[in-house]
Amino acid sequence: MAYDVEILRLSPFALFDLKGAAEALEDWAPELSGLPGDPNALARNGEVLHCHVGPQHWLLRAPLEEENRLDAALRPNTAPPEISLVRVSDTLTFFRLTGPDAGEVLSIGCPLDLLPGVFGDTAVSFTELFGLKALVLRCAGGFEIAVEQSYGDMIADYLARATV
Amino acid sequence: MMNIPCPFCGARNESEFAYGGPVKPDRPDPNAVPDEDWTAYLTRVPNPLGPVQERWHHVRGCGTWLTIWRDTRTHDIVEGPSDAG
Repeated sequence: MAYDVEILRLSPFALFDLKGAAEALEDWAPELSGLPGDPNALARNGEVLHCHVGPQHWLLRAPLEEENRLDAALRPNTAPPEISLVRVSDTLTFFRLTGPDAGEVLSIGCPLDLLPGVFGDTAVSFTELFGLKALVLRCAGGFEIAVEQSYGDMIADYLARATV
Repeated sequence: MMNIPCPFCGARNESEFAYGGPVKPDRPDPNAVPDEDWTAYLTRVPNPLGPVQERWHHVRGCGTWLTIWRDTRTHDIVEGPSDAG
């Protein structure tokens, strides 16, 4: 049985790994105001996402064109020791799964409960996907996932095989 | 398959976690205890028939280390982290 799903490998994003107390991060850089406080929640500000992915741990995602501006604004090299800001744009590859069966395909390799009542529009989480650590979030019409970049080709192959 | 309660994420599938081993007693001072006690600390792994206190790492999730009590007969988690979500 074929699934009604479209799988798209996305262009790279600007990614920053942020660690420390939310207040300290927000005090350090105005760009970080409004970090979500709830576990595994994300806040959207246009195309910029703030993802709360762990205790005192956030991931900032923005269009790649914003990378240099954000790097200058976040000043990671001069940050105080109680916070950590690291540019990790090269580490994750994103895929977008859209269509009526996007959740069905994702559930083949992911143990997370992806039903809207549990994993809603503002949900984001690291979880397992085909045995790998992966970031999962919702997007219009489906889901976006991210895996370590070196596994990108493998996950593309797995997803293609899962849909037929 | 177990659902392990993570303090940050809530109950998650066992496959997201890495086993961190049983919780061992506090490390004794090797110069202050008999050799038998020191050897026992180094080599004996708790393996009871019943509840055992274990460490687990949410390695494919939020990265939290947590401690649970698991019954080795049933795999029931008889006591989770006190701040589990």
